[in-house]
Amino acid sequence: MDNVVSRWLRILFVLGFVVALFFFMSAIADLVKIVIISSLIAYIMDPLAVKLEARGMGRGTATLIIFASLLSALVLAVIILLQPLSAEITSVQEGFTPDKTAVIIGKLDRFVTSKIAFLGIEQLDFSGKLQTLTVSFSDWIFSHILDAVSLVTHLVLIPFMVFFLLKDSRQMKKQMVKIIPNRYFEFSMNLIAKMDWQLGHYLRGQFLDALIFGFLSIGVLWLLGIKYFLLIGIFAGLANLIPFLGPIAGATPAIIIAIIDTGGLALAGSVVLSFAVMKLIDDTIIQPIVVSRSINMHPLLVLLAVIVGGKFFGILGMLLSVPMAGFAKVLLQESIENFRRYRLT
Amino acid sequence: MTSLWENIFQPRENTQDTIFSTLKRIPVFEGLNARELLQIEKILHEREYRAEERIFLQGDPGLGMYIIVEGNVEIVSEPEQHLIAVLHDGDFFGELALLDESPRTATAQAQSPCRILCLVQSDLFDLIDRNPKLGVKILVQLARTIGERLKKTNEYVYELKKDREGSADRG
Repeated sequence: MDNVVSRWLRILFVLGFVVALFFFMSAIADLVKIVIISSLIAYIMDPLAVKLEARGMGRGTATLIIFASLLSALVLAVIILLQPLSAEITSVQEGFTPDKTAVIIGKLDRFVTSKIAFLGIEQLDFSGKLQTLTVSFSDWIFSHILDAVSLVTHLVLIPFMVFFLLKDSRQMKKQMVKIIPNRYFEFSMNLIAKMDWQLGHYLRGQFLDALIFGFLSIGVLWLLGIKYFLLIGIFAGLANLIPFLGPIAGATPAIIIAIIDTGGLALAGSVVLSFAVMKLIDDTIIQPIVVSRSINMHPLLVLLAVIVGGKFFGILGMLLSVPMAGFAKVLLQESIENFRRYRLT
Repeated sequence: MTSLWENIFQPRENTQDTIFSTLKRIPVFEGLNARELLQIEKILHEREYRAEERIFLQGDPGLGMYIIVEGNVEIVSEPEQHLIAVLHDGDFFGELALLDESPRTATAQAQSPCRILCLVQSDLFDLIDRNPKLGVKILVQLARTIGERLKKTNEYVYELKKDREGSADRG
């Protein structure tokens, strides 16, 4: 009886601890975001460091070379992309000012209002709503991505963290393992190895897939002559991390822009078709090659994770929620399996 | 003043020396130079066990090899608690788990307070990825060690068989 009570007390204690940890983390959301992003980048880059080490370099030198290459690529990307990207963002922020757009939205407004007149709605104000939406979207971009203070903090903190996480990950792991009690040592080491094997392949694959899909989207949208193709392409690549909803979310801005820009459905149709073909290529060619391991998450679980991520950490949280949900799933699954194998229950 | 410096540096030097001299005596690391031994030392996990504390249980999945730096470890067969061997400073056990995850064939338990080094399979595989040359050296030595143990087991089985046949003939 005492055993049962103490077991329940332990479970309650662990649950309480998890809940407290969750609330603590949401209170320091910004820092958590930075740590998660840095850890993800360092983790994704780890095989590169291992490859350089296999060529006879020390871990420090390998990390420096990766870092120098990454920074060069980043600087190059900023030089090439900053001007068109900032022009696109400014253009979005200023709203869709061309008269044509206003006329089309006005027409759409009148058309829908006349069709639903029986409901007693006299004014839909699509134009105003769309304007508010685009302004709030670009405000979000400015406040979350291009805000000078957070940009500088992120630009300094993330590379700093990535560097040390990449360089000293082994020592950090060794130090953390030291505090594990002997009784759980084998269990924990086995769990870490299993998770590393499962998640490593999954996360690196997903990252590479998002990168390829992003470039593909930018290229296709540019060929179709869609405005803001860089911004939408980057967003489509990132959104592709979210299964099922991602491709739809990625295509939606391009469809809206196409309708507003041309006033017809022809270009929007081409966008839909292009995204459908790209998704098909992604599912049949890119993913089987780059994503060597899937962790089979249920769509509902992904959806819930995306909602929770969005609630606590905004749009970035929505994107990060997929790998985090994968991490949580593998952690739970392997812990249960290991508890059974090591007869610790 | 001197004693302060001794307190800071002396134990660490001793620990490092003991670990190095222990590693040099392990057949799996035979022929490795100081630099290579240092790489091995970096991936080892040092653990301390109290007397009678379990290191692993018979039936647990194999994780890696253990090397005794100090203390005695008893290897016991479950469930009859039959003592198979008592291992001392510089001995090693569980090396088969470096190659596969099959369940442990016996329980290992500290007989006295022990300082033990653990080489985990996943860390060894990571080292092989990073330094294939060193990895090959270790794997060859590991194959030799396991081969040696297999030879001894064969001899033991042969002796047992001979004894059994002898007693059957006498009977």
